[in-house]
Amino acid sequence: MKPPLLARALLAAVAGEAEAECVAGDLEEEFGELSRNRCWYVSQVMRSLWPLLLLRVRSGELSRLLLGAVLGAALPLLLMDRLWRLVYSQIPLKDGVDRAPEFLAVNLLALCVSAAISGSHTRSMRPAFVKAVFACAAAGATLAASAGSTPAAYALLVLLLAPAGSMFGCLLRRFT
Amino acid sequence: MKWVLRIAGGFAALLLIAVTVLFALGHRANAGRVRVSAELNASPEQIWPWLNTSDKLKQWITWLVEIRQDQPGTRVGTKQVWVMRDQNSGGQLVEMEGTFTEYQPPARESVHITSAGMFDGQQTYSIEDLGGGRARLDIDGRYHYSQWFAALLEPLITPAAEKKLVRDMARLKSLVESEAIQKGEKNGTARSAF
Repeated sequence: MKPPLLARALLAAVAGEAEAECVAGDLEEEFGELSRNRCWYVSQVMRSLWPLLLLRVRSGELSRLLLGAVLGAALPLLLMDRLWRLVYSQIPLKDGVDRAPEFLAVNLLALCVSAAISGSHTRSMRPAFVKAVFACAAAGATLAASAGSTPAAYALLVLLLAPAGSMFGCLLRRFT
Repeated sequence: MKWVLRIAGGFAALLLIAVTVLFALGHRANAGRVRVSAELNASPEQIWPWLNTSDKLKQWITWLVEIRQDQPGTRVGTKQVWVMRDQNSGGQLVEMEGTFTEYQPPARESVHITSAGMFDGQQTYSIEDLGGGRARLDIDGRYHYSQWFAALLEPLITPAAEKKLVRDMARLKSLVESEAIQKGEKNGTARSAF
């Protein structure tokens, strides 16, 4: 019997590069030798998540990934939002917070380039995946905090392009 | 380190291209010019109050909150302060001072508008009578931005300003025409009563 795939993936995503192999190996060994059931495996993974996460935060790896994701996804959106706010506030008879489609397109382009650059700093797939998740979360938080309007299609594209750009950067680095 | 330098170089190159393009566009012949025109199914006399009465102006110019005037009645030299709500600066109220430089009711008026530390410009409203209860309204503005960064961004600001003016003009057209229809119906009813 194989250990549950989802629990293994969760362990791999939360634990650091070095820790994931070690913990997964120990768990799988016990799972196979002592014929433990799947619920036991899932409960062990759940119990390990928090200590592993703390370990990863202390090692600085998670902070680096988070910083990379924020710089890659949140910063360009934030800067572009500031720029468009300035442009709109300079309009002689003022204007509201609805942004022109071409301005939103520039935001998306800046996001893609910046997320790809941020993603290119990550070589292996596991941290790249974690960074992509962080990039999506950072982009979502920036959207929520931005002064400009966020049409549904634009918000959806931002949430898709932030992780996609990050993963694309990583893959480009791996294969070039 | 090589990657960081490449990325920084790429960003600097993009920024330089963007600044050069904006600088070049900022020197075009019609830089800072905002112009909108529309034909309205109303006479110049029906349109004129919508350009000069505070309550009516607030209905079609979005974000206009208040108009203060230094003297009763409008003539050349009359000063007005327009208070606008700037949604892009957290709803901050911004004051603009306007001085009438031309005033010929119901055909034409020009206002010199200044906003301290932001911009100054001239906005002209012309109404041409087309006959048969129709008129063409032209709004022509030319603005200069005081801050160097705003002046650099002029090629982005002017098209956005023109789009705003187009939306305001559409609102004005709808308001003026619906009022003209209502007045026409009232006159018709009064005539039939006689």
